[in-house]
Amino acid sequence: MLKRFEKLKSFIVDDHKYVFLGTSVVAAIGVWFSLQKRSSMSFLRGAYVFEVALYWFLMAWLALAAVALVFKLTHWNTYGETSPFRKKPLVTAVRWLSYGVWVATAVLFVDRAFMGFLAVTSEALAQDKNPSGFLSSIVYMVDKGWGIIAKGVMTTVGLSVFGTLIAFVLAILLVFLRIQSVDRSDNDAVRFFKQTGVLFAKIYSTVVRGTPMMVQGMLIYFTGFGLLKNTGMTVSEIGAVWSTFVAGLVTISLNSTAYMMEVLRGGIEAVDSGQNEAARSLGLSQWQAMIKVVFPQGIKNAIPALSNELVVNIKDSSVLSVIGVFDLMFATKTVVGIYFKQIEMYAVAAVVYLCLTMVASWLLGKFARHLSVEPQPLTSVSDMNATVGTVAGTGSSKYSLDQKKARK
Amino acid sequence: MASETTTATGPLIRVENLRKSFGSHLVLKDIDLAVNQGEVVTIIGASGSGKSTLLRCMNLLETPDSGHIWFHGEDLAADRVNINRLREHIGMVFQSFNLFNNMNVLDNCTLAPITLKKMSRAEAEAEARRNLEAVGLANFINAPSTSLSGGQKQRVAIARALCMKPDLMLFDEPTSALDPEIVGEVLNVMRDLAADGMTMVVVTHEMAFAKSVSDKVVFMDQGVIAEESSPQEMFTNPKLPRTREFLARYLED
Repeated sequence: MLKRFEKLKSFIVDDHKYVFLGTSVVAAIGVWFSLQKRSSMSFLRGAYVFEVALYWFLMAWLALAAVALVFKLTHWNTYGETSPFRKKPLVTAVRWLSYGVWVATAVLFVDRAFMGFLAVTSEALAQDKNPSGFLSSIVYMVDKGWGIIAKGVMTTVGLSVFGTLIAFVLAILLVFLRIQSVDRSDNDAVRFFKQTGVLFAKIYSTVVRGTPMMVQGMLIYFTGFGLLKNTGMTVSEIGAVWSTFVAGLVTISLNSTAYMMEVLRGGIEAVDSGQNEAARSLGLSQWQAMIKVVFPQGIKNAIPALSNELVVNIKDSSVLSVIGVFDLMFATKTVVGIYFKQIEMYAVAAVVYLCLTMVASWLLGKFARHLSVEPQPLTSVSDMNATVGTVAGTGSSKYSLDQKKARK
Repeated sequence: MASETTTATGPLIRVENLRKSFGSHLVLKDIDLAVNQGEVVTIIGASGSGKSTLLRCMNLLETPDSGHIWFHGEDLAADRVNINRLREHIGMVFQSFNLFNNMNVLDNCTLAPITLKKMSRAEAEAEARRNLEAVGLANFINAPSTSLSGGQKQRVAIARALCMKPDLMLFDEPTSALDPEIVGEVLNVMRDLAADGMTMVVVTHEMAFAKSVSDKVVFMDQGVIAEESSPQEMFTNPKLPRTREFLARYLED
């Protein structure tokens, strides 16, 4: 962090050869802003002369950059020695002028983009019917539908956070079943339970990962509904205990359990087999070796990919809107139903989902760094086995926002 | 502890007609081997001759296809034998150390005694300290096991095995993953152990160690024990041409 700051500082305060390279782009952006229409809140509206001066300053900078470029093209190898722009005091003057370019573009940006956005917003808020402009319509609908959207965001966050936590606990239990193997000293009953457990975990994982969560949600919701109906409850009584939120939470938990179980299994299988052998050679039972030695390391291996499940769940909970869970997707559809502006509202939903997932992966990244100890220097082959192992088969890989980070 | 079950005359561990195959490849062909109380047996041989597999069969990390391994009056190779209880008496040291990466040095040493022998923590720690001191690592008890050098790791691994007070120690190429200059520190610990009367079976490529420490040297070739004799005999006057050829490669440098 500090190093990056030092680098930036030297880039700004030292004379260097590439002044024109970046700042001419900045200047071009500034020129483009100045060519845009002024909004009602533009503060340059009354300072026409000042704005013209800014415009010509930027244009002059572009011309200067063009001259420097031509000079570079004609003196390719000797530019450093022959160019007047590389000699003091001109090189220093150019550097100071480049700050002016940044300032000029910044002023134009604030005037056109920022004040423009404020103007659109305040105008849209004053409207009493949905305005036609893309941005103003979005502002209008978000303002009017704010309560609905906020409720949707809360539900989505609740579903994904609680769903992921419940799934984590269930996945740990399930992966215990999944990784059992028959040991020599096991008696027939233990063998039977182990084999049944493995079979159950395998079938569970295959079925859950092989069917869409949308279908699972439907099945779970209506199964629960039907069962309660058979007990003679009325629809409103059922709604009190088996709400769509509860059904959605059950769905997302059971669904995520299968994926997390596979992630955990990958992490556990990535633990060097020597760890288990060493524990067994001391006389520890399969179970003891698992609990004390293999499992702690396997879970640690799996943490990056596990936390990724939360990000996936934030996004995938959107399919639960089909059973009527009032999540962000359902809220968006509701607002769309009122105003019939599909593109605008779904764009809003996309941005909100993106913000949620980015915040989630940022927090989880911090959490994962907090959990893992300082990286140790590699001194031998067995160390490498221990540190390299992360994330093996996650089955059908669910897409992820920070896959690169997860595989680090 | 050894005296409870072994008679004074019989060998501590006896391998009988041991057979082991991986798929269709027969790795051990009817091996017979007896190790007496207090004896140091080294197993030498080329890679793939089956020496590591034999050693790993001796505490059932590999399951033999047929044959018997008699230890404390029980057959380890029998089906559904309580192998965990018997393994408590057989220490094993691996080529790749296999210290528990999620623990520090002390916990590596106390895990098994506390879990299996129901020792109190203080008792187990005192025992661990004694053993770590014996291998020269008393200063490292609180170090994370991943922070040690290879030689240190292997010495901790030996101390960890000793904390269970085993009757027999198996060493599976304990120095093969180490830099040549730190092989000595591990071999010295093993020499001390042999001098204290520990029964040891050592798979190794360190011929000087085999020659100076062992009571018996076993040369394995293609899944059988080709030659078995005293170290003097083995290294000065090997009987088989195959043994001479193998030893020549090691002794020329």
